[in-house]
Amino acid sequence: MPAIHDKIDSYPAADLHNDLSDEERHELHMHLVECANCRRLHQETRIMNKILEEKFTTEKPDPAFEQRMLASFRNRIPQQTGSIAKLIVDLMRLRTAQIAAVAAVLLTLVQAGRMITGEGAVASRNREYAAKAEFPAQPAQAPLPSSNEIRALSKSANRRDNESDQFAAGKTFARGQVAAAPAAPQAEPEDKKQQRAEVEGAMVTESNIPAAEEAGPNPVEVPAPPLANRKLVRNANVQFEIVSFDDAVQKITAFANEERGYVATTSSEKQANGKLKGEIVVKVLPENLDHFLQKIRALGELKNQTHGTEDVTKAYFDTDARLKNARVMEQRLIDMLKTKTGKVSDLLQVEKELGRVREEIEKMQGELKYWDSQVQFATVTISLSEKDMEEPAAFLLKERAQLALYAPDVEKTYNNIKGLASLKVQITNAQLDRDYSGRVSARVSMLIAPEEGDSVIARVKGFGRVENFQVQSERIAQGGTGMSKNAKTKRDKVELNVTISREEQEQAFQQTSLHIRTSTVDEKAKELRNLTEKQDGRVRTSTFSRDPNGREVASVSLRVAMKNYSALMQSLNSLGKVEDVSVHRQDRTGSQIDEANAPADISIQVYSQGNIVSSETGLFATVRRTLAQSVAAVMWSLRMIGVAVAFLAPWAIAIILAAWIAKRIARARAK
Amino acid sequence: MYRAAIHGDRDAFEMIIRTHSRTLFAIAYGILQNREEAEDAVQDALVKAWKSRWRVRDPEKFPAWLCMIIRHRARDVFRKRRTLPLSDEIAEQPETEAIDGTALDRQLHSALAALPEVHRSALTLRYFEKMDYQSIEKLLGLSNGALRGILGRALVLMRKQLKPALASLE
Repeated sequence: MPAIHDKIDSYPAADLHNDLSDEERHELHMHLVECANCRRLHQETRIMNKILEEKFTTEKPDPAFEQRMLASFRNRIPQQTGSIAKLIVDLMRLRTAQIAAVAAVLLTLVQAGRMITGEGAVASRNREYAAKAEFPAQPAQAPLPSSNEIRALSKSANRRDNESDQFAAGKTFARGQVAAAPAAPQAEPEDKKQQRAEVEGAMVTESNIPAAEEAGPNPVEVPAPPLANRKLVRNANVQFEIVSFDDAVQKITAFANEERGYVATTSSEKQANGKLKGEIVVKVLPENLDHFLQKIRALGELKNQTHGTEDVTKAYFDTDARLKNARVMEQRLIDMLKTKTGKVSDLLQVEKELGRVREEIEKMQGELKYWDSQVQFATVTISLSEKDMEEPAAFLLKERAQLALYAPDVEKTYNNIKGLASLKVQITNAQLDRDYSGRVSARVSMLIAPEEGDSVIARVKGFGRVENFQVQSERIAQGGTGMSKNAKTKRDKVELNVTISREEQEQAFQQTSLHIRTSTVDEKAKELRNLTEKQDGRVRTSTFSRDPNGREVASVSLRVAMKNYSALMQSLNSLGKVEDVSVHRQDRTGSQIDEANAPADISIQVYSQGNIVSSETGLFATVRRTLAQSVAAVMWSLRMIGVAVAFLAPWAIAIILAAWIAKRIARARAK
Repeated sequence: MYRAAIHGDRDAFEMIIRTHSRTLFAIAYGILQNREEAEDAVQDALVKAWKSRWRVRDPEKFPAWLCMIIRHRARDVFRKRRTLPLSDEIAEQPETEAIDGTALDRQLHSALAALPEVHRSALTLRYFEKMDYQSIEKLLGLSNGALRGILGRALVLMRKQLKPALASLE
């Protein structure tokens, strides 16, 4: 039994503790018979088991152990009865309760969100609609009754119940609704008709003129029998655009005569551009009004038409009745005066009253007459305006010129320009500026009579070099807008603004740079100055330097006029060997440039060759350079080492620390 | 019973105390080798178990969970005790060496102390409570059949340690 022999450690204890199966026990005992070592081990285990059993029997807890444990538990955790907080805490410790609480919180949040956004209200309304749609008694075509309708329904139902009992008690709500619904529209139009009857006026505008024509004869034109006694005041406003005002007036007069009317007033007004506009008031018989209006439509382009009727019947007959009463009153008062039976004061009172009544009668008679005249004739107000009313009457040609000048002496030029002032040349503004650095500039603004404009500008241009000249002309329409064939063009004063700057500030037309190699730099530089002066040029800057190698350099910057440029360039050859010539020219296209006088800048470097052998050569210099380079290399390597140490040090410290801690832990465990 | 205890039924928990406190004591004693300390550890563990009973999800695992709590508690006590100076107690020991039984007892203690913690707990559960192997495995969270090896090795180790004492006893 090698298997048992190999695992003999675990068998004896299990055997002694009755944990072996019968088969295992049999096999073990068979092996023990054969193997003396295992037998001895088994024996020793038995002894050990016995010792332990004895030992632990004495160490066992006493019978009161459980009671002690219970008592201690009760002491330390006193029983709490009826504490709701405790119950809640206990409940919250359960997973189900926790999930439920989280769900409740989420639901609360969702509801709160709905309340804030108002989504909940919409949703509930939708539900209501859904419920209504499902309601089978509701007819599909009938709209949902509004609250007002429902109120009306209940009222009508009540009324019907009160009025008679002939309706069966079982009448449905839906039938009540059907019966009541048509009643309301019938009642409504009658009210509206009455309201409309009060409105007597009618307005016709351009947009609905054709409609009015199509409608055929106007009801007012052929008054209906009930309207026969009515007092109607008709009037119309028409607006036309015509070719000739006078022709139109003639035609209107002719039309008015044809329709047995007359021209009441005419007014006209002449515009700056010679166009006429005006207003004509025509009186025609009311029955001929529409005919007249149709006729005058041929006058020109109809812009606007208003057509109104005012019913004065009520006021007319009221006044008429009051007039009759007043006449009766007048008659009585006259009778009272005739009898003369009373005091003088009473008679005076009657006289006074009679005067008042007569005044009233006259006033009312006047009113009736006025209405009669208004009713007798319709008033047509015709507004006429000739075509191209907005056409300009004349054009004004305005010229504005900007001139920028370069002058050698700004002040002198400024005074020269100011000297041009005369009756036809007015200086409006003149300004001379001089800043700290000595830069001088001037500005002059002037107004020149149109006939003198070109000559004055030409004279101003002659005072200096023209940098820039701009002319701007503007045609201003007077008395209207747009174009006109007949309008005259008039030249206005020319406005000239002149800016004068010093020549120095002018940018060179051409820039040249060159080198001149020579052995005597100083001398040649002086010669260069002389050459420049000969060609009317100016030296602007000059510098001189000498470096340790004995090389001398003189830089000279000069300016000459373009006409002298080539002569100067040729004379430079006499100074030495001319090298590295570069020319940069700025062509200003489109501007009026006086090329011969334009400035050209030349910058010249006169230089000599230095020592041929540099002091930085030879054995000593080489040794010195080598030493310097080696020291630099050593310093560089030191720096690199420092960087590497700085880079690695934190990691090394961390690793050593970790190793030390691990070691300490291991040692502590070993103990 | 376990479910009710988890849900806060005090009576159920007291019933668990009645039935399981000896088992817990056995485990604590196995670790601490001291009756008073083991008893205190059991009391502490029970209080702690009551306070944090809601952490147990599966009621079937409640006994094993109790065992885990008592083992942790006993270990804590054991660690604290180690920091106290014991040299005086040890120094006093040789005086009682005259009596053989007491010497054997002390050697038995030291042999037990030399065993790994699981071995000691297994031994105490077996010898205090006479528990069968399956129950012990369940309580200590051991795999099926592992206990046989543990107990066997524990006895062999103890036997080796106590060999001189046993020889003199024989």
